[in-house]
Amino acid sequence: MSINLTNVFYTYMTGTPFERQALNDVSVSIEKGEILAIIGHTGSGKSTLVQHLNGLLKPSSGKVTIDDIDISGRGGEAKKARQQVGMVFQYPEHQIFAETVYEDISFGPRNRGFSAEEVDKQVHEAMAFVGLDFDTFAKRSPFQLSGGQMRRVAIAGVVAMNPDYLVLDEPSAGLDPRSRNAVFKEILALHKERGIAIVLVTHSMEEAAKYANRMLVINKGKILFDGKPAEIFSQHKDELVAVGMDEPQVYKLSALLRSKGLDIAEGIADSAELVKNIKKAKGWR
Amino acid sequence: MISIKGLKHYYTDADGKEVKALDGIDLDIKKGEFVAIIGANGSGKSTLARHLNALLLPTEGTCTVGGLDTVEEANMWDIRQQVGMVFQNPDNQIVAAIVEEDVAFGPENIGVPSEEIRPRVEKALAAVGMTDYAKHAPHLLSGGQKQRVAIAGLMALEPDCIVLDEPTAMLDPQGRKEIVATVKSLNKDKGITIVYITHYMTEALAADRVVVMEKGHIRFMGTPKEVFSRVDELEKLGLEAPLAAKVASELRKSGIKLPKDIITDEELAQALCQ
Repeated sequence: MSINLTNVFYTYMTGTPFERQALNDVSVSIEKGEILAIIGHTGSGKSTLVQHLNGLLKPSSGKVTIDDIDISGRGGEAKKARQQVGMVFQYPEHQIFAETVYEDISFGPRNRGFSAEEVDKQVHEAMAFVGLDFDTFAKRSPFQLSGGQMRRVAIAGVVAMNPDYLVLDEPSAGLDPRSRNAVFKEILALHKERGIAIVLVTHSMEEAAKYANRMLVINKGKILFDGKPAEIFSQHKDELVAVGMDEPQVYKLSALLRSKGLDIAEGIADSAELVKNIKKAKGWR
Repeated sequence: MISIKGLKHYYTDADGKEVKALDGIDLDIKKGEFVAIIGANGSGKSTLARHLNALLLPTEGTCTVGGLDTVEEANMWDIRQQVGMVFQNPDNQIVAAIVEEDVAFGPENIGVPSEEIRPRVEKALAAVGMTDYAKHAPHLLSGGQKQRVAIAGLMALEPDCIVLDEPTAMLDPQGRKEIVATVKSLNKDKGITIVYITHYMTEALAADRVVVMEKGHIRFMGTPKEVFSRVDELEKLGLEAPLAAKVASELRKSGIKLPKDIITDEELAQALCQ
């Protein structure tokens, strides 16, 4: 079970003065069950890349398959395959349109042709997943919710379609730290309990280091690095900075402490782990 | 420069319920000061910011800018010239097809004589480090560059104060660094008063003063050191202290003696490795 891109090229506005090669021979396989972070500066091609994952964009050349089915086709099989990939765009709350939370979340599953009972079940489950109490929120207008709540409604709408792959473009942009943590807790639960593969496009090095088990670094339409976040962040720091990325804060602090002679392990991704390491290095209990 | 007294802003939502977005704010911002405002989503930060240039008006209390009361309609244009605003999304703030035309839009609009516009545009672009891009098309710039063009557009109006409402929320790490560096330089080199709203605590470290908001109130404020060493209180408000402060606080909790006011990596390293 995987999404496979084989030699994918994509050119915007072909034949105009604005012609631009956004993807340049990208081959990558996204396996079911992984959490893949995609990082890269604005205009690096990462959004273009993820829009190929469910056929929103068709490669200028090359092939995209989902679970071995070529998704460029018009047939029912290709359509079904494309629907396995749920997309949550940046600021998903701007895509909310229905009068009640229930209607908004049920739009996707109804469109997929689920039966009324199945739709109802999916809406209940999706709301529980994102931590919105059904009785409190189902009948309310989504437009009266807070930013964080609206974002959860939008994510629930995609979850209710029961996808095998979930692509999230900057799910935490504009959220405060608590709401950010809450959104990620839900995403991790989805991954764990339903085995959904997560593709996370992010500008936050912290999130990539903390949540992903694999990371792609995109630059100029090509994959610059593909590997474990810890390895890429510790081995390719200078190249990352050169392409507009950075190290996570916790890596910077760890490196500084190492340079002062403290024995801190490489690849620490959160503050609790760092605290443990400091205590050990100093011989504190 | 800005004086806010007993400011309340109430509105009625679609259910007919009264929402107290701001519920008694007192805040004075001095000329040349760099103030960061932090707080959870819905704490009232943006509502407060929108009072600073009369986009919103107080339900109760007053907000004066350079001595001008924002409720007086006659003051509105003067106030908006003095206080410029930058928002989250760089793509929503650009109006022209060429960078220098975009920057010239503001001064043209308020009737600056045309021979004065060019020098203003050049100065504004230089202030944000975008001189080389004067003839470029804004939509082909990076997010950080677009935000700098938006800031240049304000600078061309020669404001005293710039209010930035989460200007880096949509930017990559490079873009975030560019904006923070630009804002710092406008403050230090040009003496522009800065009000900077952010969810990134590391960005707030650059400020002279940090204001912490919750539920329409100012909960506490002070220098970055004073505010960010209150790690547990920040967490209760849904916020996060900078990493070094958090680590120092955890170490202190397990009985290790460390100075109370550690907030930067360097301070922590020094305390641990002396």
